[in-house]
Amino acid sequence: MLSFYRAFVMVFVLFAGRVSDLGAQSREDVARERGDYLSWLETATNSPLAAVARQPLGAGVRLGPPDADIPLRDVAEHTIEMRGGALLLKTPSGRQPVSRGRPVKVGGYTLYLAASARGPVVTVFGKPSEKKPPGYYEYDPAVVFIGPLLPAKNPQRLRVLAADGVEVEATEAGSIVISLGALTRLRVMRIPSAGGEESELEIFFRDESNSQGTYPAGRFVSLIPLPDGQYRLDFNRARNPFCAYSAVYPCPAPWRGNSISAPVRAGERYAGGGLQAPPVLEVK
Amino acid sequence: MLALLLQGAVALTAVASPEGTWRAVLDLAGGPLPFALQIGRPAGGGGWFGQLCNGEKCQAFSKVGVEGNSVTLEIADYAATMTAKLRGDSLAGSYRNVGSNGPRTIPFRAARGRPPVTPAPRNLVGRWDATFFQDLGTSPRVFEFRDGPYGIQGTLISSTSDYGPFSGTASADSFAIGYFDGSFVYLITGKMKGDTLRGIFHAGLRTQTPWQAVRSSGAPHLKAPTEITFADTSQPFRFRFPDLQGRVIGSDDPRFKGKVVLVDIFGTWCPTCHEGTPELIRLYNRYRGRGLEIVGLAFEVSGDSAVDGPLVRRYRDKFRIPFPLLLAGSSDVEAIEGALPQLRGAGAFPTIVFLGRDGRVRRVHAGFHGLAAGAQHQRQVREFEVEIEKLLAENSVNSKR
Repeated sequence: MLSFYRAFVMVFVLFAGRVSDLGAQSREDVARERGDYLSWLETATNSPLAAVARQPLGAGVRLGPPDADIPLRDVAEHTIEMRGGALLLKTPSGRQPVSRGRPVKVGGYTLYLAASARGPVVTVFGKPSEKKPPGYYEYDPAVVFIGPLLPAKNPQRLRVLAADGVEVEATEAGSIVISLGALTRLRVMRIPSAGGEESELEIFFRDESNSQGTYPAGRFVSLIPLPDGQYRLDFNRARNPFCAYSAVYPCPAPWRGNSISAPVRAGERYAGGGLQAPPVLEVK
Repeated sequence: MLALLLQGAVALTAVASPEGTWRAVLDLAGGPLPFALQIGRPAGGGGWFGQLCNGEKCQAFSKVGVEGNSVTLEIADYAATMTAKLRGDSLAGSYRNVGSNGPRTIPFRAARGRPPVTPAPRNLVGRWDATFFQDLGTSPRVFEFRDGPYGIQGTLISSTSDYGPFSGTASADSFAIGYFDGSFVYLITGKMKGDTLRGIFHAGLRTQTPWQAVRSSGAPHLKAPTEITFADTSQPFRFRFPDLQGRVIGSDDPRFKGKVVLVDIFGTWCPTCHEGTPELIRLYNRYRGRGLEIVGLAFEVSGDSAVDGPLVRRYRDKFRIPFPLLLAGSSDVEAIEGALPQLRGAGAFPTIVFLGRDGRVRRVHAGFHGLAAGAQHQRQVREFEVEIEKLLAENSVNSKR
């Protein structure tokens, strides 16, 4: 029975990519993606590196004074609440409607409201942070895998925390099997993107490098569909949840079973939490 | 020698210019999404301009920048930018817009020349009932393929709207058609085997949904647009919002009393609404004299009248809309249902609410099938006319508001 299981798994295991098309092109794509993402982390008004506070809207959120839900230096009292389905910001000079995903200036801070499965969440961003992004391991072609996605037998809709700490309605897309340390089955969830038609196949995984150069709680990596019906799993694209950049974000709980019994020293590093900061690699 | 050098200089100057027509693609994970680019400069000099085209439908870039061999094409409505390096007869770069989770980047490349025109295979032309296979079940769609001036063209239709005009390439048994407007990134690839089509619907860089389609039998395959949003019909429909001059106009305004009213829930950000507005204007001009009124309720991205007012004013002027447009709030589903609590399941843009002369809801039509939807569009137009004729014929003497 055991040998049958092994034989079954071997048929569907993703093999490490040594195919020619996985080489230079993939490396270039990863370098470009890293460059875009680093630029966003370093400059965007809603970069998680600049986040200073975050709270579910609930019945309303007071900002500003020292006794407010979110105290903000040199900011008079402001309140955000939901009225008749609309989000309203009450300022000392009146009320103004605000929308999800749009920046709202309050003193020297910028607020964003995000939709989550449990209602709107307010995040406050300060000035661009002096924190530096943690950087990446050098590209490693040995951690690129190609193979099939095994569909889930009874796919469920589940609420999970996405990388940005927002609770979303995800669906079980299936699993993939890789040989890294040992044969490991990794659960794959489809996480919706803004816009309705788009989504990402995501894996939140832990490995032996956690707390040893990578974020202790685990990292996300996207499963990329290929034109021939196969999928590419490239751990060089592994990235931190936003809680790695700022403690204001909740951390996703590790997904059951998604533990790799080998160190994955690829993708994004971690330089916080009292760990020794690893050297930051330049993105070319 | 000097002549040769001069010739070389002229040639180099010509090659360094992005002016002209380009056949472009976005390189999605599942294959290339084809579209066309046109970049130009006024004959007398001046700023660059350009547009991106899907078949005959083109839209202008808000700004085109050329500096050395770098080309930047901006689409301000969607906070999107395409940047590329010009090398000889090719452009290579990326399309990018930014959301709350970071940049959304898709590789982009182009070569000089017009996109190839490949006719639609005869046995592909027509209407197909498609089934999309998603993680938790199936969902109906309709494909319509035709042979147009740009070769194979078509559209994808859901229960509430069409996805825009697609164009692309085809061979005897396979096709790839795309639609990219600066925000929506859609590609349909498929193969024909016998009487069945099978393929993938690609959205954005990586989302892929398998589908299968059979030739339409004529029986309804999609959910009717009138079975998506429901309304409280026990009382007259109520709304009350400021117009573009700041005057508050409500459903009890004298201009609506005893009239048949179409309430158009729209947004200037919504491409399908841009398709629907000319049809509403046509209906207004045709039936106004017999007692039809139309009012547009704009649900905008910001919900802030200072921001939304100029956008809606520009929309009114662009289409020369003769009926009032009111600033109703932000476009979140919760905001719409908060502003119009008599509706349930609102969320499709546009949604057209038909009111009888007594002010009560008689029909709610979610979405709008644009010209690209062909027969579906024509059928919808006829249904609107029949409904309006029926409501106009109702006895206005007994109407109460």
